[in-house]
Amino acid sequence: MSAPGIIVAGLRKRFGTTLALDGMSFAVHPGLVTGFVGPNGAGKSTTMRVVLGLDAVDEGTALIDGRPYRRLRRPLTHVGSLLDAAALHPGRSARNHLLWLAHSQGLPGRRADQVIEEVGLSSAARRKAGGYSLGMRQRLGIAAALLGDPPIIMLDEPFNGMDPEGIVWMRGFLRSLAAQGRAVLVSSHLMSELQDTADQLVAVGRGKVIADTSVTGLIEAASRNRVAVRTTVPAGATTALVRAGATVAAVGRDTITVSGIGPDRIVTLLNDSTVPFSEVSAHHATLEEAYLELTRNAVEFRAETPTEVPR
Amino acid sequence: MRLALHAEWTKIRTVASPLWLLLGTVAATVALSAGATSVVSCTSSGCGGDTTKLTLIGVDLGQALVAILAVLVISSEYNSGMIRTSLTAVPRRTTLFAAKAITVTGVVAVAGTVAVLGSVLAGRLILPDLGDQALSLDDGPTLRAASGTVLYLILIGLLSLGIATAVRDSATSIGGVLGLLYIVPIISQTISDPDWQHLLEKIAPMSAGLAIQTTTNLGSLPISPWAGLGVTAGWAAAALLAGGLLLRMRDS
Amino acid sequence: MTSPSTTSHRLSQRVQRDGFFQLLHAEWSKFRTVAGWVIGMTAAALTMVLFALLAGISGNQKGSPSVPIGPSGGPVTDSFYFVHQPLAGDGSITVSVSALNSSIPEGPGELRPGTVPWAKAGLIIKKGTDQGSPYAAIMVTGSHGVRMQHNYVHDTAGPVSAAAARWLRLDRSGDAITGYASTDGTNWTKVATARVSGLGSTAQIGLFVASPPAVGGGGTAGTVSTATFGDLRTPEGWAGGDWTGGQVGAKSPTFAGYPENASGSFTASDARFTVTGAGDIAPAVRDSLPTGGQLRDILTGTFAALIVVIVVGALFITEEYRNKMIHLTLAASPRRSLVLVAKAIVLWAVTFVAGLVGAILATPLGERLARGNGVYIFPVPSSTELRVELGTAALLATASVLALAVGAIFRHSAGAVTTVVVAIVLPYILIAIPFMPAAVSKGVATVTPGAAFAVQQTLVPYDQVASNYTPYYGYYPLAPWAGVAVLAGYALASLAVAAVVLSRRDA
Repeated sequence: MSAPGIIVAGLRKRFGTTLALDGMSFAVHPGLVTGFVGPNGAGKSTTMRVVLGLDAVDEGTALIDGRPYRRLRRPLTHVGSLLDAAALHPGRSARNHLLWLAHSQGLPGRRADQVIEEVGLSSAARRKAGGYSLGMRQRLGIAAALLGDPPIIMLDEPFNGMDPEGIVWMRGFLRSLAAQGRAVLVSSHLMSELQDTADQLVAVGRGKVIADTSVTGLIEAASRNRVAVRTTVPAGATTALVRAGATVAAVGRDTITVSGIGPDRIVTLLNDSTVPFSEVSAHHATLEEAYLELTRNAVEFRAETPTEVPR
Repeated sequence: MRLALHAEWTKIRTVASPLWLLLGTVAATVALSAGATSVVSCTSSGCGGDTTKLTLIGVDLGQALVAILAVLVISSEYNSGMIRTSLTAVPRRTTLFAAKAITVTGVVAVAGTVAVLGSVLAGRLILPDLGDQALSLDDGPTLRAASGTVLYLILIGLLSLGIATAVRDSATSIGGVLGLLYIVPIISQTISDPDWQHLLEKIAPMSAGLAIQTTTNLGSLPISPWAGLGVTAGWAAAALLAGGLLLRMRDS
Repeated sequence: MTSPSTTSHRLSQRVQRDGFFQLLHAEWSKFRTVAGWVIGMTAAALTMVLFALLAGISGNQKGSPSVPIGPSGGPVTDSFYFVHQPLAGDGSITVSVSALNSSIPEGPGELRPGTVPWAKAGLIIKKGTDQGSPYAAIMVTGSHGVRMQHNYVHDTAGPVSAAAARWLRLDRSGDAITGYASTDGTNWTKVATARVSGLGSTAQIGLFVASPPAVGGGGTAGTVSTATFGDLRTPEGWAGGDWTGGQVGAKSPTFAGYPENASGSFTASDARFTVTGAGDIAPAVRDSLPTGGQLRDILTGTFAALIVVIVVGALFITEEYRNKMIHLTLAASPRRSLVLVAKAIVLWAVTFVAGLVGAILATPLGERLARGNGVYIFPVPSSTELRVELGTAALLATASVLALAVGAIFRHSAGAVTTVVVAIVLPYILIAIPFMPAAVSKGVATVTPGAAFAVQQTLVPYDQVASNYTPYYGYYPLAPWAGVAVLAGYALASLAVAAVVLSRRDA
């Protein structure tokens, strides 16, 4: 029985002297939105191209429902993908673009109209794609990914170029795809985009996975034992709390997070030092904070941050 | 394969440029043929040469438009990056490439047939009545020249497709194709040594392939009509092979 | 507080003044930083050298008879039927030509009477029967009247007479040879005096008949002519030996030979001679020396280089459209037509340099190799050779600018490349069609952008030699630089259209 979803194992690929993929391994499961995160150049797009059989690897395997992509019959009914939304013939309309894709999978032409409806592109469907905004191209790309009604959806930076409204729509849309039981892989280099969207996080750096974890667990771990304190004199509060042995970090103009001591003790300390404060609460870490916490521990990734200021 | 072919057909008919290029092929071929036949001075005894070949001279120009069409079939996808979408839809490279080749063959066959028939018709109307020498497709050599010219245009399309798949950039591909076609007929004019001249004309895709149009004085040809078309077919096959292999081997 | 604003004002003034130079600099930086374009230009130059090599080694004419060279250094045709005796010192000879009839081949072995305009019959004094030796002659011609010619290239028209009997006289006085014509043998009209050095103290003098090939249908066919002479009067004190008759230059490469079933001959009775001859005594042209090479054959790589520079020229602008860099370019310099001009100048200069390097390397290399293989190359003065090299570079440069302009109009590289290649190259294939009338092929070489190839012409047409002076044979209807001007006209017109559409259109 073949395993559903995407399974990537030990991918290695070299472009000239650059090692683009260095043992990339992870799995994408049905019913979950998996965030594929890492800085630019970490190997996200290369991995996705390998999964789609566009790039060959020196070592390793990437399987869709247990088979390599190039062996799939009617591949778009297995996996829908969006790599580059700008990759359109400028003289062809959205509908005709989806039409040839539909024909390539033996799907009827009305399937194209359905997905156009689904992504909210009906009004522009018969206009030439050359005149589309980046957001419209993204929607067209999503429509193409949905065309074959595939159990797996793979999107490379789908939030790029979307307006705030579009981002909200996209989040809801990704959630609904997962809720329908599909496996969804979404790459991004901005954590905030995946906030409240991703269930699982695959963080990559330098061509390999540095963390593969559930988002809930990750945020819990990052929030654990931390207390947020809102105060008009963060400097005074910091002095008072550090003296008592706490670790303090500033997170905003008037907010600090404290770890090492509990909330009751913080209230006592601040009162004793007559530092004014308006709120003491359990800290809820953002995905970005959690991600930074996570990558701070990854040696591989840290080596990538420049340690020397260029002169 | 059937699905890939259907998709390629949808692709080619949903943008405007292929249709215009095919119409252009017909128009340019017929116009040049008609222009050339109308300037030669003919007497009742003949035109001092091979009138069939003259009537079909328009393909010298028409083939350039066929070349653009075939180059754009693949290079426009590389240009926009859509080749990746195509390959995710049809992951088997050979299937995708074969579908493109068949589509090119089909559309060029139709346009080429119309262009050749138009040229022959123009020739019949323009050239004086030559009695038993009049152009007629009932005539074996003339029929061979006309049908061979359609095949020639198809081969030029396939040659261009192969080169463009290997090269990927449209300007470089079209430059390469036009260079391959036009340069040898020109330099062979300037080469005085007849052995070299014949050798060049025997191996060059245009000089050899257009031997198919000759209906008179076959003995003076550097290569026989069908063998000449075979040389062009060899070029097309080599280009398709190179393009197909590179498409399979390369990351997209 | 005023000082900073003054400074910035000055700065902006300076930027204005130097703006165009900066634009040029920017475009040059763009060009040289794309490896493909630099490689393309280098390849264009190398292609010319490579084709010159091919042209140099492809012809092997070792051991073929040498081309006769006239006193002025150019190749000549020196083949005619000569009935002669030696003449010591000065003297005068007179003859009447009562008939000159020519025959033109109609089919294999078939001859029909006809007019060969430059068929020649008359008196000649020549140093000897050696090929290319100096001479002077007075003659009647098929349809050009009486002519006085000497040393192959010099030709003077005499009186045109309808009378059947025409009298000719040739006087020698040292190096001065004077020709006379008369309708009655009594009243003489001087045609010309030629100074011919090197005749020697004893020259060969006598009757000659020449019959140059008939020109037609893009080819030539050997003809034969027969003249009837009478009243031959020789100088006083003439040695009075036997007349010797024979074909001069029978094996010369510039001699087309006799038609099938015809040969040269003479019969003499008293002062009456019938002479049959073929050939010509004239400067050689491409038709009469088909194995001869010209500089344009060596520079045949120009066509390949042309396609390369057209591709690069088109890409120089269409690539900017493709990757949307045009937005940045036009944001940096909003005066759009200036951007186009800067691009054109940079491209022209780069292509010119590449083309010139290619031509300057290719020409001597090809010539040396070809001559080493025994191929005769029509000689040209070094100034002409330099003009061909500079002109070829200018042709390439102007063609690439044309491609740039068409590329700016189309915004599409494949269409631009095809249009320009077809416009320049296709005419050359069309004019090679054997039954294309000369007028059409000359018209094509005058009005199409391909007219620029006139700059590679090194052959000289002669009024006194009938030949196919068509572009196919290397004779262009336009003067060398006028041809380049036609191409430049196309390029400038296209640039103007491009500038207008670039300014009006959304980028």
